[in-house]
Amino acid sequence: MKWFKKKNKLYLSDKQPLSTLGMIGLALSYVVLITWVIAILWPLFQMVVSAFNGKQEQYLMLNDNFEFSFEHFKYLFNETLYLTWVKNTIFIASSTAILTLTIVSFTGFAYSRYRFKGRKASLMAIMLIQTIPTFAGITAYFTMHSIIGSLAPWFSRQMMLILIYSGGGIAGNTFILKGYIDSISTELDDAARIDGCSSMQVYRLIIMPIAKPMLAIIALWSFIGPFMDYLLPRVLLTNPKSFTLAAGLFTLISDFRTLNQPAFAAGGLLTAVPIVILFIVLQKQLVSGLAQGSVKG
Amino acid sequence: MEKKSIFLYDDIGNSYKRKNKYLLELYTLNAQIQEADPNGKKIIRNQIKNLKNNKKNHPHIIALGIFKKEEKNFLSALNAKTKVYRSEMDSSDSRKLRALKTDLFKAKEKVDFYKKYVELSYDAELQYEQSLIELTYLPEIIDLLIETRQELSAAYESRKTIDRNKEQLAKKKYSELKQIEQNRFKEGKVKLKEKKKSGLISEKALRNGIIELKAKRKETNTLNSYSIESKSVNELIKNKKYILSKGIKLKLKILKSNLSDVRRKTPIETEKTIPFYSLLTIPLPGLGQLLNKQYFKALMFSLVTLFIYFIAIPYALGYGNYQGDGISGLLSLAEGGKKIDKSLIFMIEGIVAVFLVLISLGLYAISFNDVRKTEKNIIRGVRPRNWFETASKIEQEGFPYMVSAPALLLTIFIVLVPITTAILLSFTGMDPQNQSKFGWVGIENYKLIALGQGLAGSVFWSILSWTLIWTVVATSLAIATGFFLAILANNDRIKGKTFFRVVYLLPWAVPAFITIMFFSIMFSPNGALTTVIYDLFNIQVQVKNDATLSRITLIFLQTWLGSSYVFLLSTGVLQAIPGDLYEAAQIDGATAWQKLKRITLPIVLFQTAPLLVGQYTFNFNNFSIIYLFNGGGPFNPSKYGNLAGSTDLLISYIYKLTMENQYQSIGAAITIVISMGLMLFAFIGFKNSKAFKEERL
Repeated sequence: MKWFKKKNKLYLSDKQPLSTLGMIGLALSYVVLITWVIAILWPLFQMVVSAFNGKQEQYLMLNDNFEFSFEHFKYLFNETLYLTWVKNTIFIASSTAILTLTIVSFTGFAYSRYRFKGRKASLMAIMLIQTIPTFAGITAYFTMHSIIGSLAPWFSRQMMLILIYSGGGIAGNTFILKGYIDSISTELDDAARIDGCSSMQVYRLIIMPIAKPMLAIIALWSFIGPFMDYLLPRVLLTNPKSFTLAAGLFTLISDFRTLNQPAFAAGGLLTAVPIVILFIVLQKQLVSGLAQGSVKG
Repeated sequence: MEKKSIFLYDDIGNSYKRKNKYLLELYTLNAQIQEADPNGKKIIRNQIKNLKNNKKNHPHIIALGIFKKEEKNFLSALNAKTKVYRSEMDSSDSRKLRALKTDLFKAKEKVDFYKKYVELSYDAELQYEQSLIELTYLPEIIDLLIETRQELSAAYESRKTIDRNKEQLAKKKYSELKQIEQNRFKEGKVKLKEKKKSGLISEKALRNGIIELKAKRKETNTLNSYSIESKSVNELIKNKKYILSKGIKLKLKILKSNLSDVRRKTPIETEKTIPFYSLLTIPLPGLGQLLNKQYFKALMFSLVTLFIYFIAIPYALGYGNYQGDGISGLLSLAEGGKKIDKSLIFMIEGIVAVFLVLISLGLYAISFNDVRKTEKNIIRGVRPRNWFETASKIEQEGFPYMVSAPALLLTIFIVLVPITTAILLSFTGMDPQNQSKFGWVGIENYKLIALGQGLAGSVFWSILSWTLIWTVVATSLAIATGFFLAILANNDRIKGKTFFRVVYLLPWAVPAFITIMFFSIMFSPNGALTTVIYDLFNIQVQVKNDATLSRITLIFLQTWLGSSYVFLLSTGVLQAIPGDLYEAAQIDGATAWQKLKRITLPIVLFQTAPLLVGQYTFNFNNFSIIYLFNGGGPFNPSKYGNLAGSTDLLISYIYKLTMENQYQSIGAAITIVISMGLMLFAFIGFKNSKAFKEERL
């Protein structure tokens, strides 16, 4: 027993022992951190609770009556077009991701590996044009859609939305990918070229496999974008059947005919959970992808 | 390198002597005239005149004429001979083989013919040299082709006649060998594990060792498996098929590149001194390439001609438009048109027409430059590239243009056309009264905004000031909070870092529109937060009806949302700061505050600066939070008119103007004003960013 006591008294950490002031500081740190945790979790907790609370009526209220039920989820699936919205959003999101990835993988490669006329100027121009809010074009998008739609009736408003999302994402994503490809040694390309690879083969066999992590991040961001955006779907899509999640869920709290706040909480919860899981699992990659793009761009 | 030089030059500047004696004499005299005295000049001028007059009788020109005639005869004779040769060929040969044999036959004939004229003209020399190369390479390729075919058919034959019993035996033996190999692998593995146990090698070395053993096992197995006949024959067939498809192709490619190498090294001679084709053929891209004898290129550029004359120009003139009138529709804006004609459609189609014309002009320029460059090169002595060479050049140098073309097109039609529309729209009078037809009004809209007049312009300045306050306060607060939390949570002594990080990630991960809408619900008169505040402080707050409270709430809500992102970013940077920096500071006696100020802050700020700037522009245009929280309200008509609420930002104000109240033109004007501001902001930030300066060119 003596031996144990001795060990307890030994100070084994390589950090300096805390002074009283340090102790108070540490305690304060915990207080601040935990307060913020509560500030974040309380509203989210409220959302979860109200989504499952069968005692809630059309309006959400804070009350002590709680009865676990799936009533609001049932309402969501049976009375609203929630599943259609999910389908629409996934369609728009994945099309955007594919289109963006196809275009950007080429431009990123070209801007990183080739020194062509107008390269720097076009980079600058695209970057500046990008700062103009998408908003500026909204009046035109409407009319453009009706023009194209009259020529090609299959061209739906959702497709217009996909084109707008992809077109808007080209500049920024090209920058991020260019930065990443810049960090891949050009000796690899040179070796491949000496072995007889064409530009297309260098792109396909050398650069793309190495750039996969960044491509995945770009695809992910382009995929999540349409889930988060409210403005464009709200303006461009007019038929509730073609709504995305954001536009559709808003009708549950803004329109008196379809008002149902608990159902909104349920729908929000269902939408948020997969995305949150995705973010938690991939947080390191997502953040590093952002940081890389910024430092290089 | 002057035009009338007595030398010819190739691509890389090697000089060659002219073979055309007539031109040589002419240019020599031309060169002499510069240095001669007045008297001598006269004589030389006379000589030149004489020479030019007697061009037809010049021995070289005569010889050249004979050569041309002979060549014509020879070529027609060769054609006839080739036909005969082809008809006599074994019809069982494959088409590829027959084509190769024909080429070889032609090359033999050509060598004999052109040999005589090598000294006379570079054209003959080129033919001669190229045929020589074909003579050396083609037989080899033909032999390879025949041989491989024979081996392939032999292999097919032998596959049919494989002895079953032998095969069984071989298989049995192979499985025995496989077993032995497996045992060897196991032994090796056990040995490695023992070594690991006794601490001789590390965990990683063990793993690598096993991988190595596996590779060895696979290799030996594959090698052994070839003792089975069917397997080895199949492998052989695969190999020969590969040679037939890819191997022959590669050899032909080498031949082609050797041929073009000769082409590069053999100059061309022409009497032409001015590149006039390019000027003459400007209106018809493709024609100049045809005159330069670049047939495939000519075909490609004729597509350009088709695009220009059948799509771009008719569209610009108003044919094939949906409703508009091409470029002239831009000026008229459907004024005096039919009732269903819409000015906006006329404007957009006009803009599209302008862009089509711009693209056409660009294509004209590309074609003109191409023809001119080729022509100039011909005069200098460089032969125009044939398709094989052009293709490889395009593949290398044209690659970035080709792969960026889709991006460019998408950018033009999805970004540039709408933005141009917005710019033009801001100079028109599109308002609720003039929806379908409107005209140009000049800078009227900008005047309204600047002077703060009119229904829409009067509130511009007050909204702008709130937008600026909002941007600065909300973003700075979010950044400060996120950074502060990151430093606290990054303290070594804090336990449960993973927990904190996951929780702090949530506001960023949950889609913002959901949280904003939910907060909006909670702040409504009977909402959860209103109730909680009443319970705690016994005050009834009506956030959504009070302008100041709404604004403060919005700022805190944005802090809640935005700090998460800053927290994650700063955490990433903080973890990457090397610990020795702090140790060094500690040794030098720095206090915690000094360490924060001198090490942490500069590093984090420097690395995240562009993203933090992005946060400011993001919040300047943060439409969702304003619109979804309270629709820009509360409304206060005496101060903000009927169009805007007291928390409206410029962006949501524009939304209300354009989308909800149809004041499109003034909305566009405001958009342009703020876009200019943002662009300036971004330009300064971007230009000074380290990345852009360090960009290698």
